[in-house]
Amino acid sequence: MMIQAEHINFYYGTFQALKNINMEIEANTVTAFIGPSGCGKSTFLRLINRMNDLIPDAKMDGTLKVEDKDIYAPDVKVDELRKRVGMVFQKPNPFPKSIYDNLAYGLRVNGVKDKKIIDERVETSLKGAALWDEVKDKLNKSAYDLSGGQQQRLCIARALAVQPSILLMDEPASALDPISTSKIEDLIFELKKDYTIVIVTHNMQQATRVSDKTAFFYLGNLIEYDDTQKIFLNPKEKETQNYITGRFG
Amino acid sequence: MSSITSLHTRKRVSQHVAFWIFRLTALAVVAVLVWILGFLFVNGASVISWEFLTSEPTNGMTEGGILPAIVGTLCLVAGSMLFAFPVGVLSGIYMNEYAKNGWIIRFIRMMTDNLGAIPSIVFGLFGMSLFVNALDFGDSIIAGSLTLGLLVLPIVIRTTEEALKTVDDTLRHASLALGASKFYTVCHVVLPVAMPNILTGLILAIGRVSGETAPILFTVAAYFLPKLPSSIFDQVMALPYHLYVLATSGTDLIASRRMAYGTALVLIVIVLILNICATLIRKHFTKHQAK
Repeated sequence: MMIQAEHINFYYGTFQALKNINMEIEANTVTAFIGPSGCGKSTFLRLINRMNDLIPDAKMDGTLKVEDKDIYAPDVKVDELRKRVGMVFQKPNPFPKSIYDNLAYGLRVNGVKDKKIIDERVETSLKGAALWDEVKDKLNKSAYDLSGGQQQRLCIARALAVQPSILLMDEPASALDPISTSKIEDLIFELKKDYTIVIVTHNMQQATRVSDKTAFFYLGNLIEYDDTQKIFLNPKEKETQNYITGRFG
Repeated sequence: MSSITSLHTRKRVSQHVAFWIFRLTALAVVAVLVWILGFLFVNGASVISWEFLTSEPTNGMTEGGILPAIVGTLCLVAGSMLFAFPVGVLSGIYMNEYAKNGWIIRFIRMMTDNLGAIPSIVFGLFGMSLFVNALDFGDSIIAGSLTLGLLVLPIVIRTTEEALKTVDDTLRHASLALGASKFYTVCHVVLPVAMPNILTGLILAIGRVSGETAPILFTVAAYFLPKLPSSIFDQVMALPYHLYVLATSGTDLIASRRMAYGTALVLIVIVLILNICATLIRKHFTKHQAK
């Protein structure tokens, strides 16, 4: 199992945001987290690379394993974990540096200094994110010169450059136009071969297009988790049914 | 129909009036500045010469040049910035990036603001009793620099803090999510982004330091010392104090009047040049940022 959650409870102060979540995610799959705002799907996503550590007064119990290792064990180094679990955020957030330096950043963090290795990895990551042809002649230009969609693919490439095994995506296309969105979706489909992808989305069509499995969260509970086909065509739970048919959310 | 039109006209007129009031107040500020600069230029330009800039004052400071005062002021600007810039920036980083938002932070912030509100003459007396007497530096560049540095520390701390606040959290998160430590993130993402605004604080501080008289009065400034300093424990002349001397307590006030105008002009031009340098550095840092 790539990711294994057992009895996860999570609290912001006294508010319980996740209630007894159990879930297993297989390698080389795309899993979509859906559910109305505030249902806990982003919170759960951010547990997987421990970004929630940044929130004061937050508390978790339960066991969360990545590649069969408890990532909340005391001996785990958070920075090491984050190298294995990459993340793409809702809004494109390239660094105000050149395209090249954006990609090299994660490598330099890891102490890679050899220019040849960095050059190579910059190219493969940009190719992996289907951006190479558009930017190969302007690697030294500012990342801010790119369009929003290109910036988001740059952020994906930046995450790939560190060679993670898991890629977390928090509504990666919600700030993008339809054409850029479809490029990102095609990309997710390609990346599945090499990475395990977990994507939070508000867009139900997107979930059906890109994911193998879908998890529906509601009020901090994992209501239903199954093959995407089943969730959307034949959900077991009434809440799921209501949500995907647009009765609330 | 007509009442709607008249309402519309009334709105437009009041908007016009308001804009003109804003415009005039803004112009008034510029006008005062232009007036001061023009006045100094008209009265001071005639004494400016190579000799004025490169020689010592002679004949009871009514002739010769102001080189020792120029060098003194440059030493004090450099010395005070060497102290205030690192200390201020590091404090600002601590307050915004590391400290939890508790009462300690509120206390430090309040104290910083209070420090900024203390009259400069108090800094001068404090500097004298601490650096000149207690630490036994004597009247010296180092005593004056530290006193001036303390004076502008609040400016540097607060502008650093404000600059760091404007850095989007999503950039910090992006860096952390790539496995960077907090320290690496601050050094390689947060500081470069905030640097242009931090340098604005530096520019303000330089302007303040080069023009202050009270803090250097008892800590470094010499009334008449026609030689260049050879160490940081030497006393120096300084442009603002020299200007004060020439204008109010020289040997021959009428004869030194034109020297005073020249000194004021040189002081302003030096501040201007330092500001331009800082602005160029600032530009260098904005190279990759959003236009």
